[in-house]
Amino acid sequence: MTCASARNRLSEWLDGDLVAGTARGVSAHLASCRACSLRARELHVMSGLLAELPRLEAAAGVATRVALRLEIAGGSRLPALAFLFRGFAAARPFILPSLVPAASLLLLVFGALLALDPGPLPEVRPAPGAWGAVPASGTEGNPMFPSAEVLLPQQLAAIALPPEVLAGHGEGSLFLETVVARDGSVAGVTLLEGDAGDEQELIEALRQQRFEPVRYRGRRVAVSVYRLISRMEVHSPRT
Amino acid sequence: MGTSGMSLVAGSLAGALPERELVASCRGGDPEAFAELVRLHEGMVVNLAARLLGDVEEARDVAQEVFLRVYRMLGAFEGRSSLKTWIYRIAVNQCHNRRRFWHRRRRDRETPLDERVLAPAAAERRYGPSPYEETLRRERVRQVQAALLELRFEHRSVLVLRELEGLTCEQVAAALGVPQGTVKSRLARAREAMRRKLARLLEEEVRS
Repeated sequence: MTCASARNRLSEWLDGDLVAGTARGVSAHLASCRACSLRARELHVMSGLLAELPRLEAAAGVATRVALRLEIAGGSRLPALAFLFRGFAAARPFILPSLVPAASLLLLVFGALLALDPGPLPEVRPAPGAWGAVPASGTEGNPMFPSAEVLLPQQLAAIALPPEVLAGHGEGSLFLETVVARDGSVAGVTLLEGDAGDEQELIEALRQQRFEPVRYRGRRVAVSVYRLISRMEVHSPRT
Repeated sequence: MGTSGMSLVAGSLAGALPERELVASCRGGDPEAFAELVRLHEGMVVNLAARLLGDVEEARDVAQEVFLRVYRMLGAFEGRSSLKTWIYRIAVNQCHNRRRFWHRRRRDRETPLDERVLAPAAAERRYGPSPYEETLRRERVRQVQAALLELRFEHRSVLVLRELEGLTCEQVAAALGVPQGTVKSRLARAREAMRRKLARLLEEEVRS
């Protein structure tokens, strides 16, 4: 017998669960192999250590606590149906019996509501085309927002802003929404806050931007990006 | 009060009833018979749960759940296995559910075994080993219990039922509802895992 096959059978050998021939083979191997013999000895000692774990004394009061929870009244266990339909005062710890009055109350309330119901209300239909169908998510009409699943669109090349845009019209902030279409072009730039009159060149330049198309689960989607652009005048210190 | 009429002193039957009669009495609604059933098996259920969960208070809590379940399911007990094995099965399932409950709340790493499990009985303290030996024993017990709690639940349950509760492989298989072959292979893996976890301690023990 090899060491591997002897070790595979050590647990059963210790339990005396092997057939006589196999058990003799394991015993013979252990007598000749020091390493396997040591392993068998360790397993034997380990069983002893487990047996040494102290036992808890019988937990006093388990029966009492179980009986309290069962609330067995009058020293007798009632038959199942009588148990379910006994008096409400005795049914306190059980959900099922307490459901009976709850269900009765619910039926009563629904019954009263049905009795008082003046009939069906006139159906209100929206005028056709008043709201229109919501465009599919990820289209230009209903773009997605950058999140854990949709990355921020990457600009393909930095836009060249004309000098007059860079010179600007003093300090201020613009809050803009850019919808990047599924092909990476800019579907629209909306100025949400700021003075549009002074920043037309900048907005026009932003409309010319091109982005890497954004993908969501393998398909191209339109994305809505919000940007806050602040301009401040910087004066070089006088020397 | 509903409980006032029930005698909770489980001594009147004095363990005289054979298992079949005890079960029949419990089914017939005899509260004293049920109290006797609890008294007979509560120690084994609490010990099993304490070893499987590593927490005495949780074990006592689980023991209550186990006996409530026993009470409600006695009608379904067919007697194909012994009552003890049937209760073991309910206890292991309840402990497994409790572990999953802990796991969901990430509490399974925060439940050290209660000191009361490790503390020797008063009589043992009075007449037992020296403080040094007692310290060594407690450290040994702590290591073994810690290694036991690191095992996978199905390995731990097999090992506890076989080594601590002294069930045969057949009884363990009946208690867990798995084939005997599965019990033997889990037992071998559990023992090997314990041997590795306790390598240093076993080396010292074998040397001494």
